[in-house]
Amino acid sequence: MILDLHTHSIASDDGRAKVVNYCQWIQKKSLPIDGFVLTEHRQFDDANDYRALEDQFGILILKASEVETEYGHVLVFGVNEDLKASFDFADIRNPLAMVIEEAKRCGAVAVPCHPGRPKVGMCAHWETKGAVDGVEIVETLNGGSREGENEEALAYAERFGWKKIGGSDSHIVSHIGRCATKFEDEIRDMDGLITALNDGIFEAILP
Amino acid sequence: MNPAELLAEYGDHVFDEIDLDITKESLVGFATACGEAHPRFIDSEHADFQGVPNYLTRIHGTRSLPEGFPVEMHRCFDAGKSIEVHQAVRAGDNVTGKSEIHDIFEKSGRSGTMLFIVHRMNFYNQKGDHLATVDWRLVQREMD
Repeated sequence: MILDLHTHSIASDDGRAKVVNYCQWIQKKSLPIDGFVLTEHRQFDDANDYRALEDQFGILILKASEVETEYGHVLVFGVNEDLKASFDFADIRNPLAMVIEEAKRCGAVAVPCHPGRPKVGMCAHWETKGAVDGVEIVETLNGGSREGENEEALAYAERFGWKKIGGSDSHIVSHIGRCATKFEDEIRDMDGLITALNDGIFEAILP
Repeated sequence: MNPAELLAEYGDHVFDEIDLDITKESLVGFATACGEAHPRFIDSEHADFQGVPNYLTRIHGTRSLPEGFPVEMHRCFDAGKSIEVHQAVRAGDNVTGKSEIHDIFEKSGRSGTMLFIVHRMNFYNQKGDHLATVDWRLVQREMD
């Protein structure tokens, strides 16, 4: 099963894609992905329910978050009420160690994204501020990366033995599916995704 | 002050108000400049003559920010506008625009930390009908 684990809709301040248009694009272009995860910036999108679109298009649509830390941006899968209460999703200076620890405590999974990106990626901060405990998965294929950024992320992942995911980081419709993650098993919901991420049997791919 | 404190101090009140008369020449001129060709927008004799939907985005108030707002303008740039149209603007309308700070938030990107200030203008016609809501974003970037 192939999922794009990093997308943004108009619920993000810089997102220009409606979720229905993502679905139409995937269908029209016969993109080889089975679903995508909406990772809205600095928030969890409680307001929107995409189950009707899932049924209409036969595409899995899950919701997560992209939060900001002093080590860069971090995807958080499995956001729940406990996690939302544990730190301020709108804060751009959350401690990375705290986000990872709180995510684990609440049954979620925190994944530093585009770690090779200047200023908002983990790698540069890792060198200047030191290592952070608890990192297990990073995004090594990001569709918005510039030359060298994914390569740096991959080098870190291999150096430290982190597992690797991929996501398009799409903000416009035509960018969805540029990078994705291939899972061994079928995933039907967020619980299934959390289980699969914890099992560690997946790979970052260019669909 | 952090964004929440700034919003608490400067948000949620009208800090500027302007008043202007809408002329057919202004409506046609703006529509033409936008490349609009539909007679409804460029022919003042058309039965349904009105402003193009984004017409009110051209209007600025007398102030960008409330008096005393702590911003360093030399680090700021325009981050764009969006408009929600509620009703068409017509020639002969007397329009009132009211400015408020709608939102203030931070984000980080390749260029560093940025502070976004959303200046909202609500426009009303002489009957009090709400014509449009225009959000103008100003972004202040961190020092190099």
